[in-house]
Amino acid sequence: MSTQTAAVRTGTALREAVATARRSWTDTATAGGAAFALAAVAPFVLGGLIAEDTLASGAYLALAATGLGLCVGLGGVPSLAQGAFVGTGAFVAAHVLRHTQLPAELCALIGAVAAAALGTAAGFAVRSLDSVRVAVGTWLLTWLVALGLGALPWLSGGGQGLVVPTRRLFGLNPTPLVHYELAVILTGLCALALLALRRGPFGLDLAAAAQHRGAAAALGVPMERLRVGAFAASAFVGGLAGGLAVQLEIVADPTAYGPLLSFELLVAVLVGGAAAALGPGVGVIVLGLIALAARALGALAGVSASRFQPMLEALLLLAVLTTGGNAIVPGAIRAVRRFRRVPARPAARAVMPAPKRREHLRAEGLVKRFGPVSAVDGVSFELHPGTVTALIGRNGSGKTTVLRLLSGTLPADAGAVRLGQHELAGLTPAERVHAGLVRTLQSRRAFFSELTVLEHALVGANRTRRYGGAVRTVVSTPLHRAENRLAETRAVAALETVGLAADADRQAGELTGSGRERLMIAAALATNPAVLLIDEASAGAAPEELELLKTIFIDLKNQGLAVLLVEHNLGLVRAVTDQVLELELGRVVPHKPNSRL
Amino acid sequence: MRATATVLVALSLVAAGCGHRSSAAEERTILIVVDAPFSQSPYIGNTIGNGAQLAADQLNAQGISVGGAHYRVRILRLDNALSPSRAVADTRRALREHAAAIVTDGTGVDASWRLANAQHVPLAITYQGGLGLVNPQTRPNVFRIAPTDHGLAFRLAEYLVPKRLKIAMLTDDSDYGQAGKTALTDAFRTVPKSISARITLPSTASDLAPQVLEARRSGATALLVWARAAVLAKTIVAARSAGWGVPVYTTPAGEDPFVRQQLADHRSWVNGLTFASGRMTAELGPAPWATFEAAYEAAFGTTNVGVKSGGRPVIAPPDYAMYSYDFVNLLGAAVRSASGTDPPKVLAALNQVSTHGANGDERGFNERNHEGVVDDDVYFARFRDMVFRPVRDDPLSSTLPVINQVR
Repeated sequence: MSTQTAAVRTGTALREAVATARRSWTDTATAGGAAFALAAVAPFVLGGLIAEDTLASGAYLALAATGLGLCVGLGGVPSLAQGAFVGTGAFVAAHVLRHTQLPAELCALIGAVAAAALGTAAGFAVRSLDSVRVAVGTWLLTWLVALGLGALPWLSGGGQGLVVPTRRLFGLNPTPLVHYELAVILTGLCALALLALRRGPFGLDLAAAAQHRGAAAALGVPMERLRVGAFAASAFVGGLAGGLAVQLEIVADPTAYGPLLSFELLVAVLVGGAAAALGPGVGVIVLGLIALAARALGALAGVSASRFQPMLEALLLLAVLTTGGNAIVPGAIRAVRRFRRVPARPAARAVMPAPKRREHLRAEGLVKRFGPVSAVDGVSFELHPGTVTALIGRNGSGKTTVLRLLSGTLPADAGAVRLGQHELAGLTPAERVHAGLVRTLQSRRAFFSELTVLEHALVGANRTRRYGGAVRTVVSTPLHRAENRLAETRAVAALETVGLAADADRQAGELTGSGRERLMIAAALATNPAVLLIDEASAGAAPEELELLKTIFIDLKNQGLAVLLVEHNLGLVRAVTDQVLELELGRVVPHKPNSRL
Repeated sequence: MRATATVLVALSLVAAGCGHRSSAAEERTILIVVDAPFSQSPYIGNTIGNGAQLAADQLNAQGISVGGAHYRVRILRLDNALSPSRAVADTRRALREHAAAIVTDGTGVDASWRLANAQHVPLAITYQGGLGLVNPQTRPNVFRIAPTDHGLAFRLAEYLVPKRLKIAMLTDDSDYGQAGKTALTDAFRTVPKSISARITLPSTASDLAPQVLEARRSGATALLVWARAAVLAKTIVAARSAGWGVPVYTTPAGEDPFVRQQLADHRSWVNGLTFASGRMTAELGPAPWATFEAAYEAAFGTTNVGVKSGGRPVIAPPDYAMYSYDFVNLLGAAVRSASGTDPPKVLAALNQVSTHGANGDERGFNERNHEGVVDDDVYFARFRDMVFRPVRDDPLSSTLPVINQVR
């Protein structure tokens, strides 16, 4: 490729990026920009009211909190280890500064990488735990780091801390003002990254996993990998904040990175708004106000402010949690939107792309035992492209177990599942989705209530992406942006198939039960499957909704998909199926033809 | 648009003006920042703060007039919470507010002295005795008026070795204990046979019976404990509850009211506890100390220990308060000598001037020595019925009067 061609392509890509940014610019973005500008000039406007080193420390705290937002806001993972990551970054950077002549920025970066390594290990350890256990586990990690620093004076510098030599920062004298402006810039960049990730596939997948693990797993969301990634990214930012803050404070202080710091960072994130880009920063400002209030109370009571500060923070957190997690920034955005109605997205028209391949699925001799009970006992069948197969039977006959064996959420004791030429044994549910086999869940609660209808479908469409990684999302590469358009087209087409395209911008929680069922079918459809497994989609559906379901299943058949329906509604089965399998005590029983059901 | 910009600029200027400080009256204030652990160790923090405040009040009452200008001393208390980074932040604040000196317990001095030295602001340590904190050559602005770890350790060795005791050296795992371990190891280097065991006490343990048992099994006939007050109290409980009447020697932690409060239910267990500390009285006799103590109590009241002796409440003498008191007086003398508050001149004058300390001792520094308490000023006192008195089997201590500790 000639230089000229490359320049033209780069120019085009940049113009596209600018156009995309202009299209997606909102009032919230304007508010964010204004907040950033205000923060940047704060030391000049506030004069001597707040000391520059206090402002700089607060700005680094905001950076660490924004990093924590990656974990808590996107992943819904209540990490109480951010203080430990900040401390790791601080002490590693301090040691590197003391023992090498490396530039100050590089030392901070090394600290951040060390923190990210610890974050990766922590994320790996808690990747499959529920929220409570994650909180406890990360709390223990924080204590471990704090106690370790206390017990190892050679590492922490003991009571006097580890004195850090001062070195120029980006060629500038490292005054508190320079540190402050650097911290504000980094916090702004981190907030932008948080925003990009939240809107991108990484954030949607994490949000889906946080809201309903089962439904996310069914759609092939690689939850554990995403969690580890969120922890690592969060720790990296925390470590960077620590590695830079330690140069401002000129001492790595073993008493400064204990559980209280982790607690305060979590409070800042939850109070400000975990998923909002500006939320953690606003939360840190609130903490600053609490410190002032604690000082006033301390002066009144004649005791140290430090006696009141954690108490006031805990009260604030309690207030936020007991009011249903109503944080400041999301609350403000909601309030503004109430007055300024956002114009509805014009209904998009899209054509569903053809299935990735027309492949048949063959199950051979599937067996699953739970103790002495055989839930599935030698079940074999085939699903052909462009057909709908019904799996019927009494409750407890083994229908859902068969679906779980096919989708890989339950390992089979014996038997094999082949999709086209591929043996699926040993593949995870996510890998099976990637191969072209996806399922929906039986429960009407198995959806992501806080996502919009379109975002639901996008979670499915994300499975087809190649350039949807976190780094590409943050940088917004041309390939990533091009793929965004394709993913949205696929998602809208899936919504059209199930009759929900007009509801794209509605919250999923606003849909009826049947609407939610169709929504999860759309999300599964957006994964571009060859085989679709649907578990009791008609449960509780009204007559007109049943008609709609019939149309959808026939449409799916016409698109060339192989569909397996677990159904109790024999009318629906009769209307749409080409093949009926009846299970009884885990076995397929010979059945009369569909027409004689 | 232009009007809006003008208003914004005007507001900014007004806001900036709010923080500006330039009046001549403020320049006549001698600000002394006391940076101490008021929240984490209130007893130590308040002792240091009160000593400095008392000296400031007395100087203000006398008046400091130099070159036609009148100065008032103001004390600003900042809480370092035993955190080096908080100490650095406090130092920055002190420098922003043009403090003439910073009086500290010693927390964070390794990091903060450079900041203060860049503006020629003296930094006075009045509690910690760690090695390396004070060095007139490399840290010309750091002074100390407090017994050093080195002085305490060598005086303890000097006192204990002739008794031919087998000593179990118990140090806790805090920085205080670890610094003491270093100092004691150095002090007893030439007499290793007098040490029967070297044991680290875990600060967080609720029961120190295993460590005390280890000391007993080593054949120890004395315990030398260098630990924080809480750990010292637990060590005594472990020894005495096991029926072991071994003599216990310790550092100034022994006179901390906390130890007696913890042992209030077993008053006899405190009997015989011997500690080393800086003497409260000097060759001039008890009069200077009595004057200081009376002024201190008049200003701040007594520090009740919370136990009784002979049916009367026991108070803690403000011995550590005299160190910050002495430094503020020295600073006043240095301001007079420098004919003003010009920091380099005041810093240089601190190496020249001297005053009479609260205990009657001559206090002063020079270019080669920034230690205000010489090692020979360390004395020993022993508890009896919840109050202590100087021991009689040490040449220095035997000459010292008994300080009344009941009210």
